[in-house]
Amino acid sequence: MRILTIVLAAMLVVGTGATAGAQVVPGATVEERAVNGAKAYLQKHNLKNVEQTILLSSLYRNSFPDFSERWEKLTGVTIKIVPLGYTDIPAKIMAEAVAKTGEFDMFNDFPYTAPDAAGAGVLIPLDPYAARGKPDFSGVAPGLSHQQYYQGKLYTFVLDGDHLILVLRQDLIDNPQVKAEYRAKFKKDPGCPATMEEWERQAEFFHTKPGQSRWGMTFDKGLYGAMGYRSVNFSYRHFPAYFGGLLFDKDMNPRIATPQGVKAIKQFASIVKYMPPDIQGWGTPQIYPFWASGQAYSVMSFPSVVGFANSNEKSVIKAKQLACLVPQTDAGGKLVRRSPQAAGTGYMVSKYSKHPELAYWFVQWLTGPTVGDEAIAHPKGFWDPFRESNLKNAAIRQRFGEQFLATTMENSKYATSLLMLEGNYEYFNVLDKHLADVMNGNATAEEAAKRIEAGWNKVTNDVGRARQVQTWRQGVESGIYLDKFE
Amino acid sequence: MADAHAPTRTAAVPAPTRPPRRIAAWLAQERVFRLVPFVLVEGLFLLLLAIPFGLTVYISLLKWRASRPFEQAHFEGLGNYADVLADAEFWWALGRTFYFAAVAVSLELLIGFVLAMLVARTVRGTRVYTTVFLVPMMVVPVVVGYNFSMIYVDSGPLNQLVAPVAALLGFDPRIRWLSHPIAAQWAIILADVWQWTSLTFLIFLSGFSALPRPLVNAARVMGASPWQIFWRVQLPLLKPVIVIAVVVRSMEALKIFDQSVLLTFGGPGNSTQTVAFYLWRQVWQFNKFSFGAAASMLLLVIFAALIYAGIYLLVRQRSVALAEGRG
Repeated sequence: MRILTIVLAAMLVVGTGATAGAQVVPGATVEERAVNGAKAYLQKHNLKNVEQTILLSSLYRNSFPDFSERWEKLTGVTIKIVPLGYTDIPAKIMAEAVAKTGEFDMFNDFPYTAPDAAGAGVLIPLDPYAARGKPDFSGVAPGLSHQQYYQGKLYTFVLDGDHLILVLRQDLIDNPQVKAEYRAKFKKDPGCPATMEEWERQAEFFHTKPGQSRWGMTFDKGLYGAMGYRSVNFSYRHFPAYFGGLLFDKDMNPRIATPQGVKAIKQFASIVKYMPPDIQGWGTPQIYPFWASGQAYSVMSFPSVVGFANSNEKSVIKAKQLACLVPQTDAGGKLVRRSPQAAGTGYMVSKYSKHPELAYWFVQWLTGPTVGDEAIAHPKGFWDPFRESNLKNAAIRQRFGEQFLATTMENSKYATSLLMLEGNYEYFNVLDKHLADVMNGNATAEEAAKRIEAGWNKVTNDVGRARQVQTWRQGVESGIYLDKFE
Repeated sequence: MADAHAPTRTAAVPAPTRPPRRIAAWLAQERVFRLVPFVLVEGLFLLLLAIPFGLTVYISLLKWRASRPFEQAHFEGLGNYADVLADAEFWWALGRTFYFAAVAVSLELLIGFVLAMLVARTVRGTRVYTTVFLVPMMVVPVVVGYNFSMIYVDSGPLNQLVAPVAALLGFDPRIRWLSHPIAAQWAIILADVWQWTSLTFLIFLSGFSALPRPLVNAARVMGASPWQIFWRVQLPLLKPVIVIAVVVRSMEALKIFDQSVLLTFGGPGNSTQTVAFYLWRQVWQFNKFSFGAAASMLLLVIFAALIYAGIYLLVRQRSVALAEGRG
């Protein structure tokens, strides 16, 4: 009995200690706890007029200040913005990893930056703060929520459902003459394609040369059957939708030089003939306005393309868009739907920040369910819906439209992460380079698949196979890629 | 106690002025003073060149990716150099850079020379022409990249301009300037030519301005045709200037980076990736710092050999000119 009492007392002491170490900050909501946490930190360290700096994707320079100013009113902490193009941010973060200047407190970038940045030690794991702040990741699909972790540690708070979506021209689909011709040819009404093959057949059907008259309309500038990202630095973001599975086996052997891989490469390249000729040189600044100009029938893109085409002044397709789930692909004999999280704005805290905890509280506040929803509803923002609560938010419903919102949320169930591995940008570049060779007719899909396999193996060996295998297995088991090892 | 210390404090005031005087006197000595420039130059050399160079060599001998803490780096020997030399992409990027430089510099020399010759012969408006032709050189490369990306758009002004010619030759008039591997290479070359012809123009114009008029007049009096005057008198006199233009522009063109990044980001695929962009990518995108250091050391050797050849040409031209009494 005495021994039992001692054991119980010891357990109580240990338990109390553990609770004290991670004492939850008071507050009924995620945002309240963040504000209270920040205030308590300021008070504890007797800090006033604190300024923190965020390296921000320049896409958000017009919307982010609305939130940083609110944070300042709530806590007195000023957030200084350093905007930069999102393609340049990873290099800037790695430069900070080497220089250790402490110039930045927070980084705003895709979760894909985390593996290299965390390895370099420039990011701080946020778990100890999260234990006290109790952020809420409920209602976020696994492919998106698990992206916030790398090697089991929380590094990024994601506030963006950038999983790909397919958008069609509703006005064309509803056209009675189109319907009649389409039905005569395919024995069904036009609409969201079930598979990649069907999307390509639709692209072929709708593809119209400049000056051609069809369905009672004249297409002076032509109508491209499809659009998608095919340039270097973008192709890799789309390819998993065509591949539909894990790119490596459990030992990090590439699965690309397989019938499934070769078919995916062929499909990825084949539909390019229905896209604008310059598509291999285009990024978002070109694709969004072109889509809004009404010169294409369909586009596979980040979801914000719908909001852009509905709100852009020059858009001729306002309220003429039909959002669809990403079509399914044949992955080794079974149809699967995979919607890659192609970008996804996230927030990370620098290890070299003078006040990393304070930076954390801002990140928790901004990405919380309430403020996060307000950000997604912001008319000048590029944050896309990704959380179940978005469906019930009136402002978000008004901004994005019911049909789009329901579709993108359904799509999020199929959201899958790109590679969350050290050296991932090198893996991506190998894929991009050889996909371009196939699209330009400089290599066959089979040749490209073998070269990609060799290139990926080279990267894996260079980084360290054992380490990569461990991280890869950990990622797969977490559910980040949706698929599991066979 | 406080009063006792006061005089000591007052007496100590002039003390700080003594060391500078001593230093000044020491510096004023002839044997020391003549060493000052040497020490300053050597100091700057150490700080700006030798230390970074030494660090680069050191890093190139390590195995280190910036995605790991530096403490985890280990000695690799010449492994990185072997990896660079075995990397086909390095050689492709290098070859592509030489190709860009050769074509772009040739065009820049030709156009710059013709423009300078025409402006040198112009009686009125020389200053206006000179100013106008120099503008591209002064434009920020980012602006050049942005403007050209607009010009090269599929339905953009350049395609509209070349459409009739392309149709005559049986080509598709909608040239994919930024997305076709070959066209994209030419897009970069043309943007470079537009910006840097100004420099060759300026060099040649100064050359034409410095030509001795009596020699040209004498040739004219002796009945030489304009073509003979140009070919036999002016061109030989301009040879040193031409060599300067070739060397200066070639050295710059081999570092081509801006257009490759701004117009195509090295794409489609890696078809417009120059060696400078390759290096940037290896270091800042792939975080392969030691590999990048080794690649940059190898490039240094290659470019140093070229610079040496260029300087040798310049010196030889100068020697020939002096021997011929033109120097």
